[in-house]
Amino acid sequence: MSLEPHWGKRRPHIRANQRPNVGNCGVAGLAEPMRYDRPMKKQIALVEDEPALRDNYAAALSRQGYQVKSYVNRSSALQAFALHLPDLAIIDIGLEDEAEGGFDLCRELRAMSAEIPIIFLTARDSELDAVSGLRLGADDFLTKDVSLPHLAARVAALFRRIDALKRPGDAAQLLRRGALSIDGEKMQTTWKGSAVTLSLTEFWIVHALARHPGHVKNRQQLMDAASVVLDDNTITSQIKRVRRKFMELDPAFDAIQTVYGMGYRWVE
Amino acid sequence: MSIRFQLLLIALSTLVLPWAGCQYARELESALRVSQESSLQASAETISNALAAQAANVFDAPGAAPQFDWTQGDLYLVPLHQDPLLDGYREDWGDLAAAPRTLPTRTGLAARLLGGSTDHYAFLYVEVDDPSIDSEPSDPHPDTDRFDRINLEIQSADGTIESYFFATDAPGLIAAQTLVHDEAGAAHVALEPRIQAYWQQTSRGYHLEARMPRSLLATRLWIQVIDGGSGRRAGSSSVEYPAGGKLFFTTPGLNHLLSTFLSPGTRVTVIDTNGLKLGVAGSLRVNPDADLEPTGGSWYRRFVAGDLKHWPLQVVANDHVEGRSVSAALAGHPAAEWLRSRTGQTPLLVAAAPIQVGAWLRGAVVLEQAGDQLLELRDRALTHLFNFTLLATVLAALIAFGVATWISLRIGRLRHAAEAAVGPDGRIRLDMPEAHRGDEIGALARGFERLLGRLHEHTHYLRTLGGKLSHELRTPLTIVRSSLDNLESEGVRPDQAGYLTRAREGVLRLQSTLSALGAAARVEESIRQSDRITVDLADLLESAVAGYRDGFPTARFELLRPAGECFMPAAPDLIVQMLDKLIENAVDFCAVSGTISVRLRRTETRYQLSVSNDGPPIPPEMLDRLFESLFEHRRGGDDRPHFGLGLYIVRLIAEFHGGEAVAANRPDGAGAMFTVILPMV
Repeated sequence: MSLEPHWGKRRPHIRANQRPNVGNCGVAGLAEPMRYDRPMKKQIALVEDEPALRDNYAAALSRQGYQVKSYVNRSSALQAFALHLPDLAIIDIGLEDEAEGGFDLCRELRAMSAEIPIIFLTARDSELDAVSGLRLGADDFLTKDVSLPHLAARVAALFRRIDALKRPGDAAQLLRRGALSIDGEKMQTTWKGSAVTLSLTEFWIVHALARHPGHVKNRQQLMDAASVVLDDNTITSQIKRVRRKFMELDPAFDAIQTVYGMGYRWVE
Repeated sequence: MSIRFQLLLIALSTLVLPWAGCQYARELESALRVSQESSLQASAETISNALAAQAANVFDAPGAAPQFDWTQGDLYLVPLHQDPLLDGYREDWGDLAAAPRTLPTRTGLAARLLGGSTDHYAFLYVEVDDPSIDSEPSDPHPDTDRFDRINLEIQSADGTIESYFFATDAPGLIAAQTLVHDEAGAAHVALEPRIQAYWQQTSRGYHLEARMPRSLLATRLWIQVIDGGSGRRAGSSSVEYPAGGKLFFTTPGLNHLLSTFLSPGTRVTVIDTNGLKLGVAGSLRVNPDADLEPTGGSWYRRFVAGDLKHWPLQVVANDHVEGRSVSAALAGHPAAEWLRSRTGQTPLLVAAAPIQVGAWLRGAVVLEQAGDQLLELRDRALTHLFNFTLLATVLAALIAFGVATWISLRIGRLRHAAEAAVGPDGRIRLDMPEAHRGDEIGALARGFERLLGRLHEHTHYLRTLGGKLSHELRTPLTIVRSSLDNLESEGVRPDQAGYLTRAREGVLRLQSTLSALGAAARVEESIRQSDRITVDLADLLESAVAGYRDGFPTARFELLRPAGECFMPAAPDLIVQMLDKLIENAVDFCAVSGTISVRLRRTETRYQLSVSNDGPPIPPEMLDRLFESLFEHRRGGDDRPHFGLGLYIVRLIAEFHGGEAVAANRPDGAGAMFTVILPMV
């Protein structure tokens, strides 16, 4: 007798994700693609060795009004970056025969610019932890399961953050929960005054939890909030990673509580 | 049949050694017999030659012996060692006086006669079956009076015949009577005091034991028994058989002469041409006190002694010797033969050689030797042989048993190892006992190792197949999904939207399938990264079961937990994941409107966490294998894919916590129960 995961039975996220409604996620408005005119099209570098995926991502992002430049491997991307830096980079970790070529590229790109938002795309869940351990300065880590609208929402969110960072701070956007303070626009999180470096996914998860302290958010809700489709284990490891990041600043941190069998909640 | 028993049987085949020994002993014995035969025959011939040279000492009369014919009243006087008491009984006549011979009769009177002699006397012994007594009258007239009597006619050396008769009116000591004619020619009865007798009345008739000086006898003697009442007669008279009534004696001094030829354990007999004994010397017994029969005989003999049966029995007679060898010798040819002694037990060798004096065959020498010397020799050899071969057999059996035990122990060890090679967790032990040995069992063990190695590779491949598949299919799946996303964003005609929806559904299903396939690998991965913290198991259960109530609104849950806190070091996420699998499993098999009961029990050192559901029981033969990886016994009727990983994950997590998972059917038979036992520390 055996069992296999069958999430659909009790978490009807499959139907929910058929038409991703990003506007209905935990952080209202955050995922909404920006549609106002720009003086210049934002330029996105897409480094992906799988041609079909590359073309699909490029098409989707172009449709959102971005200028997409695709690169097959690390060297061609580096050459192009040396001439002109993109506004945002989406990098696959495994590049042709370099199993971790994406990590190296990220490190090199970060060396060129500290501001460029970088999104990692991975084929494997386990790489998420590796990436997090490497602290390469990426802004988000996504598995390739991510849907194109979700991807677009992230790209938009990251661009908006760039814009928000350029503007002076707006106290109204601040969400304060005890020692926690979240700037929804700049997507910055501080704990007891210190900045917590969270990826976009992690930020959205924290944001979703902290908005309604004491309310249990189940995994599905968190996934929706973070605009990702992940399995339970991945949510668990995301939460674990978030806790670890907070605990690095404050070993006594225990604001995120597990409600077994149900989900997580923020306690003050 | 176990190897031990088989080898033992093989060892028993060494019993052929004693058997072969028996055969050999038989051969040996017959060879010894032949040589004994020829040596005894040679001795007989030597003695006969020696006796022929002094024929005068052997034979009384020169020339051929007269023909012995009992029916004509011829009588052989048995040599007696001492004078018997004159009492009418022959018990004191000694061994040599065998049964008396029946007298020839034409009228049916049964009477038996025995003659014997010592140096000075001749003895006669007559038994008459004549119950009606006709006593002698006071003035008897033998010719006319009818009374019971025994006539005796003796021919003296000068040829005259003296007639006597025995009769009495009362039993007891009597003298022979004779008819005397006085000058007037009248006959009257007179006593002959030299011939004495004892008349003994018996129930069947009477016995007469008579004694007379040897000097009275010459060459002939007739005896006739007359029943006075009926007139019946037995025996012979000089009138009927003037040429009969011959007397045969042993040769005086011959016994002594013969004793000079003797070797111990042999008996030498000289017979005349009639077969009548002329002289005897020696005894068959080496030790006169010893029994002729084998004493305390070895039981081995019965394996080899069967060949005695077809030998002729020894004929024992007081007056003559007979047999094949004797006949041959009396026909002029030396011969030897084996006989059985009277009791049929002891072999007896008889060799006879003719005594040829000049042109005349005068008689024969008969040499007898007991075969028990040979028997003793054979027995000694056989006993040794048996002892040695039996010892060899026992040794061989012991060695075979030991070797077999050793071999079967090794095979048993190998078998246990082979049976335990695939552990309950599905992991394969590759090292086999005995594999380092150079013999066939070692080769077998190495064969097992190779086989298990292949099996290991295969199971490893299967185990990782899910993860690999899930990984390899992810990219193409992502391509399909992103293409569908693009298609949807580009906008499709409303009539095409259905296809898009269906394609998406297919992709999602594929995705969940892949996710299921990789579940075990992911759990193993997360187990590697898990840390244990102190968790209140009861609290965790409370919260989890509350979650399941939400998650499975159709199922009924029941939670039984001990009061108080149940702390243990655990990875709570894993515990919950384990619980998830157990609950999902229980929900799948739970009967409609059945109850799923989650129960936590605390023993001294452990927690027992069991999840049971109402529903069909698990087939007993499946119980042990449920927790194996990729073990799937699920029946159809469920469209979700099953890879047999759920309970495997349960086991992985239980083992990570140092516990174990057990499946059982509920005692009431109305459901299954899965229990995870977790140590407290």
